[in-house]
Amino acid sequence: MLKTLIRRELLDNLMTFRFAAAVFITLLLVVANTIVLLKDYEQRLTAYNTAVQESHEELRAEKTYSGYSGTLVVHRPPNPLSIFNLGLDKQVGNKIEVYHAFVPTIWDAEKHGADNPFLNLFTSIDIVLVFQGVLSLLALIFAYDALAGERERGTLRLVLTHPIQRGYILFAKYISAMLCLLVPLLISLLLSIILLTTSTTVALNTDDFLRIGGIVLTSLLYVSLFYLIGLCISALTRRTSTALMLCMFVWGVLVLVYPNLILTAVDIVPQPETQISVYHQIKQMWEKLDREKKQFIRNDAVLGPPSRGGEDMDAGFGLEGVEYTFWQGEDKPSILLYFHQTGLYAGKIKAESEPQVPHVQDYYGFYNRETINTVQRTWLVRKPALEAIYIQPANLGRMLLRFSPGGLYDAATEAWAGTGLEGTQDFFSTVQRYRRAVVDYFYDQKIFESRQWFAADKGTADWDTLPQFSFQRSDTGINAKRALPDMLLLLTMNVILFTVIMLIFIKSEV
Amino acid sequence: MWHITKREIYDNLNSLRFALTTVLLLALMVTNAVKHLREHPKRVQRYQDAVTESLNHLTDRADDSLYTLAQYGPGNFYKKPSLLHFCANGGESVLPDVVEVDKPPVFMTDAEGNRLLEGIWSLSYPDANLNNKDVGPNVSQVDWAFIIGYILSLIALWFTFDAFSGEREQGTLRLMLANSIPRHTVLIGKFLGALLSISIPFALAVLVNLLLISTASTVHLTTEAWGRLGIIFSLALLYTSLFVALGLLVSARVQQSAVSLMILLLTWVTLVVFMPSTLASIASSFSPATSFDEFWKQRNPIQENLWDKYKEGRSSKSVDRRLRAKSEFYTENAEREERWQEEQLKYRTSQVHRARAITSISPATLLQHLMARFAGTGFERHLQFVENTQRYARQLREFVADTDRADPESLHILGVREGMSKKPISPEAVPRFEDTLNLNRDFNTAAMELLLLTLFVLVLLSGAYLAFVRVEV
Repeated sequence: MLKTLIRRELLDNLMTFRFAAAVFITLLLVVANTIVLLKDYEQRLTAYNTAVQESHEELRAEKTYSGYSGTLVVHRPPNPLSIFNLGLDKQVGNKIEVYHAFVPTIWDAEKHGADNPFLNLFTSIDIVLVFQGVLSLLALIFAYDALAGERERGTLRLVLTHPIQRGYILFAKYISAMLCLLVPLLISLLLSIILLTTSTTVALNTDDFLRIGGIVLTSLLYVSLFYLIGLCISALTRRTSTALMLCMFVWGVLVLVYPNLILTAVDIVPQPETQISVYHQIKQMWEKLDREKKQFIRNDAVLGPPSRGGEDMDAGFGLEGVEYTFWQGEDKPSILLYFHQTGLYAGKIKAESEPQVPHVQDYYGFYNRETINTVQRTWLVRKPALEAIYIQPANLGRMLLRFSPGGLYDAATEAWAGTGLEGTQDFFSTVQRYRRAVVDYFYDQKIFESRQWFAADKGTADWDTLPQFSFQRSDTGINAKRALPDMLLLLTMNVILFTVIMLIFIKSEV
Repeated sequence: MWHITKREIYDNLNSLRFALTTVLLLALMVTNAVKHLREHPKRVQRYQDAVTESLNHLTDRADDSLYTLAQYGPGNFYKKPSLLHFCANGGESVLPDVVEVDKPPVFMTDAEGNRLLEGIWSLSYPDANLNNKDVGPNVSQVDWAFIIGYILSLIALWFTFDAFSGEREQGTLRLMLANSIPRHTVLIGKFLGALLSISIPFALAVLVNLLLISTASTVHLTTEAWGRLGIIFSLALLYTSLFVALGLLVSARVQQSAVSLMILLLTWVTLVVFMPSTLASIASSFSPATSFDEFWKQRNPIQENLWDKYKEGRSSKSVDRRLRAKSEFYTENAEREERWQEEQLKYRTSQVHRARAITSISPATLLQHLMARFAGTGFERHLQFVENTQRYARQLREFVADTDRADPESLHILGVREGMSKKPISPEAVPRFEDTLNLNRDFNTAAMELLLLTLFVLVLLSGAYLAFVRVEV
């Protein structure tokens, strides 16, 4: 019986103009956008590869270890799944310095020079966005006359004269419509995956296919939710034209109006001014370090006397052979970043300064150790403050968006693709671990207090034994774990709506 | 004809869609007004603080000496926030709101850190809004451009999808045509009826919005702003009539109103939502920008050239020659720096212009551009601001040169302390920077886009006419 019903509904849906239109429009939009997005991804990947190469060479050109500031740069590779959901992949900076004087965060990252920031004026697009707009619309178009139409034509009465449970009718309608909606979804996805695999630059592995599977599953839940919304409206209204009009209104509100309206109404703009006291606190810690540094130099028997320029760091302790001294630092109150470092570069230290060298080495050992301790202390206050400024409003915004199915869908697919905030943060926690590894390596090899820290005459810095940076996207299990809550919410909404429709339909008179 | 129009309006006024439209538009417009009232004073305050600080820099430097002014230049320039920010924000959060005055570069220091060779100021254009470190979700703000571009166009389709197909289904179309009314009159009547019935809730929402904004003490709308608002309102009507015409065209051709609505919706999604972003992506992928490192590679040889030239002059015996070599080195370096920055900006601008030209196929993008232009926000406004600063920079340099020329005791070697006038200058005499907006100019440049939009409307309207005249009832 159920089979007959499903067959009838399927034939009803498949032979319609709307099915043809649905397949056509989804294919057109998805394929066109895949081509464009693929090209964009390839460009970003090339930019990334060039940048990695350039940084690699730049670091090798440094002769002293202290020269690694500003040249030990790691780059964030573009995520191939950003084609499906762009998320923050393009927005967040993709190059970041690794340096012992600050803990790298997502806000400290900068962009490669290659892209034109003005092009951000144009809205960006991804495949999930196409689905979000088009598939939801199509689901409603399939649903609006499912019950109201049959009621109008009188066929509903006819069907109900047979001894069939009403739930079966509903179920048959749901299954067949979902099958029809699956066709454009799967065909277009298949085509875009074929396009991706033919490209030589995109290397998708098994994990990626699992993630894409997750995205498909989420899309299915999303489409089904919209179909049920349409069905609900169709069950409630008497006439198809009213149902259609209401469906359209609901679509406009859920997809278009609500996300923009709620985030305009609720202020989620980061307010760095609220945490300015933390910035001052951090600055004070650095000033304390400055005082300790001066104290250390003053107490040193050799470096101490002002005649040797010990007080004034820029003078390079009066070492003969110093080529230049440098001052390295950042002062950005809006991201609570403050640090400064001083150093010197000596190509060849002359013999008369030789007795002084161990003292300078001692000094740098002390200075670098204390710098790292200071950074540790500042990080303890900087981290929560940054979270209060940037993460909390961002999460509030995302939470508010979850009240619309589109927001849930976006969040879940972002989690699958790994382009969401958490996925992007993964990269930066890897960078933080890498910084720790570099610092540990410097400690182990006693590089901080070595001669190669500032002088290039007796052996230069050996960059090949430095720990290598490598970043692996989180494994599929973690993606799934992050996507699961949102998918469950979608599922629950589906179940609730289906039950509601069932109740309405069973009670309603024909 | 008026009968038909009136009938249409009465018909619409009683419908469910009219009520829903009114509620929706009112909610959007009120949110927009509240948001503007909350944020605009802050924006203005920030701008004023920044301008005061930058003016202080200027007067301090002028107070010090002509040389200091010539070397350090004015303070940073800030973009004046538009009064009509609520109409179209034009992507202001992406655009930088400042043109910076670079500190003089230090070419050489001695062991004590004293500056031996220090250049003069130059303009530099920051890439983007550097403070924008937001990691929040990416949504468009509810401004008028959004309300008109997305919501109003959708509403226009909502009001017209069953204009003919609905009447055909009910059989009233045949009845109407049985009277001796020419078909084009029916069409125009329907068109006006739909346009007017959409304008009523829209005008109401706009009125509430403007009432909220203009009565607040924190925001003061000038006469010019009201004029611009008038233009924006008529723009909105033009844009709406485009979609009304589209709705009538499809409705006249299609037998069932459900099919008509489906076609219209899919067209709308493609035209308004996807076309702008897809076309922009295509346009921007055509022309990859030169990378920062490449720019450096082009630039460094020039720098070395300049340096060699300076070294030649430095070894000269005459003091005058030596000073002149220094001055030349400074000014040429600053000029090159500026030219380099300008070229980069120009390159990027042309890229954006190309992308904008391509996206103009979509009427939604046309509207966004026009709205931003008349609201005094967005990319064109940014370029105008940059031009203003460039003009001012020239003016200031001329002022410095003229003041120096007026002093007979000076050696007239600009950029070097020993070679410049030592007479004190009054800070009042120094020209001030003022960021202005020119409406005439906007009008001229917008003419093309306006024409295109009108053309769209005319084409669709005549299409609807042809479709309706030939259709069998």
